[in-house]
Amino acid sequence: MRKLPFDTVLIANRGEIAIRIIKTLRELELRSAIVYHDLDAGTPAVSMADVAIPISGRTPVAAYLDSAQIIAAAHEVNAGAIHPGYGFLSENAEFARKVLEAGIVFIGPTPENIELMGDKIRARKFVQRNGFPVAPSAIEEDDPATFISRARSIGAPLLVKPSAGGGGKGMRIVRDLDALEHAIVQARSEAQRYFGDARLYVERYVEKPRHIEVQVLGDSFGNVIHLFERECSVQRRFQKVIEEAPSPALSPQLRKKICETAVDIARAANYRNAGTVEFIFDGSGFYFLEMNTRLQVEHPVTEMITGIDLVAEQVYVTGSHELRLSQSDIVLAGHAIEARVYAEAPARGFAPTTGKVLVLDYPGSPGVRIDSGILQGQQITTAFDSMLAKVIVHSPTRTEAALKAERAMQELVLLGCETNTSFLARVLADEQFLSGQVHTGYLDENPHLAAGEFASDLTAFLAAAALLTRPVRDSADAVPELHASLGSWRN
Amino acid sequence: MQRITSLVDVKSQEFRLNELHNRRLAAELKERQRAVRFNRPERDHERLRRQNKLFVRERVEALLDPETPFLELSTLAANRAYDGEVPSAAQVVGIGIVAGREVIVHADDASVKGGAWYPLSVKKIVRSLEIAIENRLPVVHLCDCGGGFLPLQAEFFADRHHAGRIFHNQSILSKMGVPQVAVVMGHCIAGGAYVPALSEYNIIVQGSGAIFLGGPSVVKVATGQHVSVEELGGADMHTSVSGTADYLANSEMHAIAIARDIVARFNRTEKAPIDRVTPEPPAYHASELYGIIPKDPRAHFEMREIIARLVDGSRFHEYQPRYGRSLVCGFARLHGYQIGVLANNGVLFGDSALKGAHFIQLCDMNRTPLLFLQNITGFMVGRDYEQGGITKNGAKLIMAVSGASVPKFTVVCNHSHGAGAFAMAGRAFDPRFLFTWPQAQISAIGTDQATRVLTDIKAKQLAVDGRHLSEEELEAIRESISEEYWERSSAYYATSEIWDDGILDPADTRNALAMAVSASLNAPIETPRYGVFRM
Amino acid sequence: MNHFLELEGVDYQLWLSRCKQGYRLHLGDEVTAPIDFCHQGDGCGILTVAGAKEPVRFAIDGDTIHLHIRGRTSVLRYRDPLSTLALAEKHAGHLVARAPMPGVVVATSVLPGEVIAAGTALMVVESMKLETVIRSSQNGVVERVHFKEGESFEQDAVLVTLSAEGH
Repeated sequence: MRKLPFDTVLIANRGEIAIRIIKTLRELELRSAIVYHDLDAGTPAVSMADVAIPISGRTPVAAYLDSAQIIAAAHEVNAGAIHPGYGFLSENAEFARKVLEAGIVFIGPTPENIELMGDKIRARKFVQRNGFPVAPSAIEEDDPATFISRARSIGAPLLVKPSAGGGGKGMRIVRDLDALEHAIVQARSEAQRYFGDARLYVERYVEKPRHIEVQVLGDSFGNVIHLFERECSVQRRFQKVIEEAPSPALSPQLRKKICETAVDIARAANYRNAGTVEFIFDGSGFYFLEMNTRLQVEHPVTEMITGIDLVAEQVYVTGSHELRLSQSDIVLAGHAIEARVYAEAPARGFAPTTGKVLVLDYPGSPGVRIDSGILQGQQITTAFDSMLAKVIVHSPTRTEAALKAERAMQELVLLGCETNTSFLARVLADEQFLSGQVHTGYLDENPHLAAGEFASDLTAFLAAAALLTRPVRDSADAVPELHASLGSWRN
Repeated sequence: MQRITSLVDVKSQEFRLNELHNRRLAAELKERQRAVRFNRPERDHERLRRQNKLFVRERVEALLDPETPFLELSTLAANRAYDGEVPSAAQVVGIGIVAGREVIVHADDASVKGGAWYPLSVKKIVRSLEIAIENRLPVVHLCDCGGGFLPLQAEFFADRHHAGRIFHNQSILSKMGVPQVAVVMGHCIAGGAYVPALSEYNIIVQGSGAIFLGGPSVVKVATGQHVSVEELGGADMHTSVSGTADYLANSEMHAIAIARDIVARFNRTEKAPIDRVTPEPPAYHASELYGIIPKDPRAHFEMREIIARLVDGSRFHEYQPRYGRSLVCGFARLHGYQIGVLANNGVLFGDSALKGAHFIQLCDMNRTPLLFLQNITGFMVGRDYEQGGITKNGAKLIMAVSGASVPKFTVVCNHSHGAGAFAMAGRAFDPRFLFTWPQAQISAIGTDQATRVLTDIKAKQLAVDGRHLSEEELEAIRESISEEYWERSSAYYATSEIWDDGILDPADTRNALAMAVSASLNAPIETPRYGVFRM
Repeated sequence: MNHFLELEGVDYQLWLSRCKQGYRLHLGDEVTAPIDFCHQGDGCGILTVAGAKEPVRFAIDGDTIHLHIRGRTSVLRYRDPLSTLALAEKHAGHLVARAPMPGVVVATSVLPGEVIAAGTALMVVESMKLETVIRSSQNGVVERVHFKEGESFEQDAVLVTLSAEGH
């Protein structure tokens, strides 16, 4: 690797992605620095970094959104670059600009890229203008006064989305136009709180849509390549649960077409660094959804099928280098599946759960990668996102990958905080999933997957719990032998 | 130990007829028990629901450890009294397991006459506390008593074993270090107020529980003061002001949970060390007892056949098999416990009495509890027997039975008459438990004999008045005397009067006795010591 | 009185009794026997259910039992009868608004002393990226607001206590 203009990279993030980045920085022989809120003290990310600087905020999340503190921390440790990870400030153009103004390299796209492509409304307009397909929509800021009537005229079903942000936050499906105004009020409030930006837009909601996204990588010399697509259709409440690469829905022709479209869009936007172009695929055609101007949570599946370290490439192109890979270097091999382990209770409407990680044992089979940010003994709170870890598997075929992922979910032992691993195992073994016939409404249409059927396992769980609960076992042991042998005899 | 080889032909006509008869008796018993336990007018159930109270049976079941046995005692008490309107004498009493401990459960049944105490209720409670004292069993009282039934006060108030004895026995239990827990689930008025007050621990249910010597109406009459139940004896007041009650419970179930938690704190008594091995079921099935007990109570039956269906492996070490043959004596195991068995195989003779007296002393020395299986019409009478010293030999047996310090258990299998009934550990001889089989007859002399004697007396009285009776008139008198005598000798009458601790289905006898033996061993067995045997 | 174990919001009444090869599990009318648990140290053990043996991972945290059996993880809670029965009554008589799930307070909408009607919004909470309005189920007077804006709470936490309407 050619020399980089910095030797220390500050990670403005936490948890599994911070660890993920530290690992690559180590490979690249760069010093890693991290900022952390008190609540994260002692987490593996903080202990793994070469240097850690505490930050504070009104809420824990606010600390990680405080650009001034983060830039000050970067100066403090002489960090020449900042990697924002995903979430938090990763798609905040203002932050990127401030970082650059502070004389620090921002590992990510340019502020202009973020402003153009990170804003859903601007991005759609730009993409539409350049002749790429988009869904019918109504954008609030075009004319706030007529927003609702324009939205109505698209016709149900509709999807209300915040202009800023992503990750499903603030999104709402409206099937009955009478509920539109209420949905807009709620979405606005959430958008304001999450992104500090209450602007909304409404687009036609496609029934049974598949979510397919293309990983792109660009440099400052106008080169853009793609690293194939990922499919993220298994979602609950607009949040991705299982992702895979490649998509089982695409023919080689369609794959080529969608990947090239993504590259063309990125090139048109003069896009630099890693990004993801998201499409809605309705089984035959696709149209542009949005672009994520950052590293994605699900990037590991791309890494597994291409063998390329995306963080390393991000760092490399950020150092004002030309891409060291050409499109022909990118070869798709095998199938990768990622399952996200969340602290949540699928049976209770995916309500978040809390607790202390009492036992943590990850599966260690070959072809299984664990991106985890937690440690045994750690307290899981609702202060942050509920994702605890990602389990990524790689196999020659999709069927084998699904089986390996299912096994990994069963072998993963995380006790102390309820998680969705059993649910994930059920999805990975579900016939519909195995046949590849999934869409973003798949989980909603199959509530039995979330509910889980205890059936024969119920007795085993109750038996084990009863035997492990002192008062229950003591009650049995306290009964004299004679009376135990007589059972519930009555005269 | 040798196994008893049964000589019973289970395919014989006689066996089948007996079986049919005894199964019917057992079914009748179960039905009567079921009725007294559960048959209540709907309005009484409704009243309980309105008062937010559970039915006494639900309370008892909630108190007990699930999957453990409950030996209910005197279920049919008062079944022949008060026109049958006070089922079980309005009390549930039994031995059960609470938090792994053997305890006496005593519960007032508020679904009967508002839980008022009748004379036989008092007798049943006194007996339950006597059992607690004799066997050192902790007691859980589930109190819901509206006070004594005043019209019958002469039968339950003043005498030595009347209501005062309840509180005396409670105090004695306490003095012995045997704890009691009372759960106040309704009003505990007058004497009833002392049941929780004399218990080591008590719990009172908010809303429905109250304790006072005199209720609001009595207070008004006595002092003119107007007070509410809550002020006078409510749960809040007693747990925070008077200190009469210890724990406040939100509901009956909460109260029961507290009671269970208290019992779980009790020390476990070291049981009297008697020989015990791993239990073994009898080699012959208990249900065969139905075919062995004769349909005709006058018919003789072989007691070894009964023993074979009660004891472990049907194994029996018979003592003096060739002497005093009308009293079968020997060692056996019951659920692993070694016991000594004395069973009547005919009328008692001098030699059988001597053998019994000797065997009792053997068992007493050996710390072996005694089981008496009664089928006794009495000691043999006649010149030769008197000259042979039947009376003084009978006295030896009575002396031995009275003096033995090991626990005694009696089952009245069939006849229980005369001094023989005393000598075979009758009620007066304080067996720890006495049970009766459905067809048993308990009386001074047998019905036939008694009828003859009584008819004779009647005829003589009438003759004095110058009346001469025709054969038909005589027969009518004989029949009426016989009927009344028969009725008053029946097991149902005996159990109604609490002369026993309950009627047992013969097939339940083994389990009931095992629980009784186990309970008895909570009390230490004293050193053997006897009075003077007339030699 | 049976023991209670809660699993996924359902209370199971059960009891163990001893038998020759270990224990019997009584669950309603259903009996499973023999069952047994053999500790192998460090949160591992072998569970026997009706004669079949299988490995178990477990962690016990107070009354909560975390189990991993047959590739599934479940959390069971022992419901102590004393506190459960005591609480059952207590809560029946009080007016409280509870948290349907863990989350963070976005805004509080009422102040102590305020007279409110059934349906009044008490608090806006955020959980799972969604805002939920916590409303009063009855008329009453706000007695206490237990959490401030920005504070996080666990599932079932009492958010607001109300007292019966004053005169």
